[in-house]
Amino acid sequence: MKKRNLSVLLAAAMIASTLAGCGTTAKGTAVQQSNGKDIVKALLPPVSASYQEKLMEYAKEFNEANPDLELQITTASWEDITEKLDVQVNAGSPPDIAFIGSTGVTKYLDTEMLVDISKYADKEMIEDYNADIINYFKNGDGLYGFPAYVEIQAIGGNKAMLEEAGIDWQGIQKNGWTYEEFREAIKKGVVKDGDNYSRYGFVFACSGVAAKDYFSIFVKNAGMSAAFDKDLKYTYTSSHMVPFLKDIRALIDDGSMPKELSSVDAGKRWNMFLTEQTMITGKGLSVFEKLATDNNKKLAANDGSAVEGSQEVEYIVLPVPTFQGNKQQAQGAVDGYVCFRGKDEPSPDHLKNVAKAAYFLASGKRAAETCQELYISPICKSGEEAFASLPPMEGKNENNTNAVKNLATQVAEARPDIPADLGAKAIKIEDEVILPKFQGLLAGEITPEEMHEAIKKAAVEAFGEEGCVMD
Amino acid sequence: MGLFRQYGDNQKYKSVLRNGAMTAILLFLAVLTLFPIYYMVISSFGPPNEIGAASYTLFPKYVTLDSYKFFFGFSKSSFRWIVNSMIVAGVVTLSNVVFAGMAGYAFAKVRFPGSKFLFFLLLFAMMVPYQVTQVPLYILVANVLKLTDTYTALIVPSLVTFYNVFMAKQFFSSLPTSILEAARTEGCNQFQILIKIVIPISKTILSVMAIMTFMGSWNTFFWPFLICNNEQMQTIQVGLKNFSFANTTYFSPMMAGATISALPMFILFFTLQKYFLEGVTVGAVKG
Amino acid sequence: MQTAKKRKRLNNDAKWGYVFVFVPIVSFIIFTLYPVVQAAIVSFQSYKPLKTEFVGFSNYSNTLKNGLFFKSIWNTAVYTAVTVPISILVAFIISILLVPFKKRSQSFFKAVFYLPGIASGVALSFVWKWIFDPLPSGLLNSVIRAFGIQNQNWLGSSQTAMLSLIIMTIFSGLGSTVIIYVAALLGIDPTYYEVANIDGATFLQRIKYVVWPMVKPTTVFLTITGVINAFQAFQTAYLMTGGGPDHATTMVGLLIFNNAFKYFNYGEACAQALLLAGIIAVFAVFQFKVMAADVEY
Repeated sequence: MKKRNLSVLLAAAMIASTLAGCGTTAKGTAVQQSNGKDIVKALLPPVSASYQEKLMEYAKEFNEANPDLELQITTASWEDITEKLDVQVNAGSPPDIAFIGSTGVTKYLDTEMLVDISKYADKEMIEDYNADIINYFKNGDGLYGFPAYVEIQAIGGNKAMLEEAGIDWQGIQKNGWTYEEFREAIKKGVVKDGDNYSRYGFVFACSGVAAKDYFSIFVKNAGMSAAFDKDLKYTYTSSHMVPFLKDIRALIDDGSMPKELSSVDAGKRWNMFLTEQTMITGKGLSVFEKLATDNNKKLAANDGSAVEGSQEVEYIVLPVPTFQGNKQQAQGAVDGYVCFRGKDEPSPDHLKNVAKAAYFLASGKRAAETCQELYISPICKSGEEAFASLPPMEGKNENNTNAVKNLATQVAEARPDIPADLGAKAIKIEDEVILPKFQGLLAGEITPEEMHEAIKKAAVEAFGEEGCVMD
Repeated sequence: MGLFRQYGDNQKYKSVLRNGAMTAILLFLAVLTLFPIYYMVISSFGPPNEIGAASYTLFPKYVTLDSYKFFFGFSKSSFRWIVNSMIVAGVVTLSNVVFAGMAGYAFAKVRFPGSKFLFFLLLFAMMVPYQVTQVPLYILVANVLKLTDTYTALIVPSLVTFYNVFMAKQFFSSLPTSILEAARTEGCNQFQILIKIVIPISKTILSVMAIMTFMGSWNTFFWPFLICNNEQMQTIQVGLKNFSFANTTYFSPMMAGATISALPMFILFFTLQKYFLEGVTVGAVKG
Repeated sequence: MQTAKKRKRLNNDAKWGYVFVFVPIVSFIIFTLYPVVQAAIVSFQSYKPLKTEFVGFSNYSNTLKNGLFFKSIWNTAVYTAVTVPISILVAFIISILLVPFKKRSQSFFKAVFYLPGIASGVALSFVWKWIFDPLPSGLLNSVIRAFGIQNQNWLGSSQTAMLSLIIMTIFSGLGSTVIIYVAALLGIDPTYYEVANIDGATFLQRIKYVVWPMVKPTTVFLTITGVINAFQAFQTAYLMTGGGPDHATTMVGLLIFNNAFKYFNYGEACAQALLLAGIIAVFAVFQFKVMAADVEY
């Protein structure tokens, strides 16, 4: 009896150990061949509803133009793609190409699985891009991917309301505004009866992790354009943080922003914007102009398909106000195609093909169509050329287009000089200290001083006193 | 049932009063639990707009099937996703009922050396969060066994879940040992006891297990999402998430998909419900 | 003679026992135990997909030095301690009320309570966000205003964020618990009630002395699996609050997820996961001891 028991366990242990053996000797994604073709795998999220099919067309085009290569595209939804990529990276078998935000470069660099494509891509490919933007995919001397676009993240207002409140939005689009001007302006947007607000001056989506956007977009105009300064000292410990946070809090205390701001999500605030419950909203993207126009058309059709209770709204791109006399800097979200390697050392030929495929996806017609979908302008020459031949965007507000172009020239410069390990630590502080404390600040549960102390404590722990700005 | 007192004819009003009160409580709780579902269904009849357009109202003023059309027109594979989910959930349910039923009985009523050890080993394995076991499992299935984009990969990890083994064991342990002993003295072996005695009186629990396993498998998102790259091999839950794009989510089509994906389970529920109500007829066996 | 026969029978039993558990055990070893063992190995490593280093207990000691880990354990424990007993109690009461109904109305109610379980969690999280709309026009806020309670910033305030997640969890998970309980109640042999009736037991006495002991194995099952699920809870917090505000709803599951993927600190994630499993195991053993003293195993 004992023996039988033992033998069962032994057998179990044997199976387990064979599998364990397999696990450690398993090969990652080696260069795979099918019919002598070199296969390049890409994991991409569809930018919009029509993209599922478009991506397949792109792959077909690429494969026809390059008979010795096969580009295989897997799509995953926008929200979940990171999770899939992260499991694959942890498992040592990522796709050759993946679509990520440039802030993710540090994180994946830390796993040592990103490929420096500067050695494998042709010079013309790299020179196709706006040098400031492609820098977002650089770290140190390495280039890890090609950018697809830069999306300016600012705020946006309701034209009729802005004018009604006597706000010179055209002047602001050109010259920006200070916090003090902004504060007075949004006060004028408020409509209330006692404690019952029927309209706020400004509503930013802050629910859950979105609060990070509010912080990072606004802090850029408070003299802290990145987590590290030129000497690689951590900036958010600076004493300038306290007045900035006080200013942010004051907008809520004024009653210009809802006191429940900390749980207003992206869907809710857009609904509030369309139904005239707020004058200005954030974060604002160029594509919102299109969404507002679409809704206006539905209102005009009067068939009930428009957002319930919505009014005709003209969306106006506005820059973020500047704090304490600092200069205006725009937040640009740069997304693009990065290249990975698997557990096995890939051959240089394969990597050349990967770079070629990544460039294909990030340039020309592909870049132009993606940008048009997002209502923005391309950032590579080949994309601009293709963009010119696409049908122009109908009824687009010229002022907005120019405002976004103006903001694009002020996008905070890329920081390839920040080493990956410092960057990773800063991201952790942002997620584990800044975001939660900021949520607390918005909910009125934490004072600006307390938040500043918490950041200081975590930063000193991570970078040492000499690694932080202490003024 | 004998739990509640049976009133005589002259006290009928008491029984009416009591049942009325119970119905009222149940209805109240029912409305509370049903509300999210109600909202899901009415939203699915909204226009296929982005999420900010979600109407924050209880009674829609605008009803259209456009979102359903959008859902099926969105991808050629929309229908295939449902079929995939059915295949996977069907096989997983069947295998769980068979294997978890057997194992549950063994742990509950059959004495064999190591049974306690094995049981607690399985129980402990269940306590390790899936966030960390997902990576080795993925390495095993995708990199070692090379099963990406196969039904096998979708099915085998949940071929038999310990949750079901545990549930079966707990139910079988409350079966009176006396009946089983009686069968044993008549010369039945354990397999015959299981087939002839235990299963016939355990239809309730087995169908509960079936429906819960089906539901669990049907609603699984992360594993199918990880292991399938081909659009043709996605399950409905993975497909539903495809309605999230760069800056927005298509709310109503997603709700339409969720409503459609809930239908098969509703049908299954009503198919199996007669077993739910049968109860265990231990008394009949005894007699 | 007698004992020899008995031994043979036991031998035969044991054989069947192994046959019955064979498939589950094999599938468990491959698809659950193997990943768990791998995770245990990684918990002693500084894991990088391309090269890993053995680092001894440093992942564990780092975790135990981390205040956030303890905060999240505390949050998870609160969440578990509230959701599990309330869910079980409410489901038990509903099941008791359901039993006397005729077949048709019984299955109607069962379907009703079961329904929320069949809708996908992601779709429902949108609905719940709407219920917890923080503005005065929000649904739950309109309801509580009718009772004279002031407006609440449900998911946005650390006072109410955890409460909101708890409400959501209890209502979403009621269905399966009710169905399992009803199955257990229907399994009670009516002769037990008859005996109790003859003894003149009141309704509550019948619940206490007949029903409760008879469904005890079910309660044990529901409690233990409930505790395991609640301790591992991840999705609700991930979808609804992202752990905020100020870590008021950061659960261990969320922390482990962030470590494993967001920060690629997989070794530490594994260490935290095993510590969590250890905590759950202590709870489970305790529950078995307390609750199952008179149930045969």
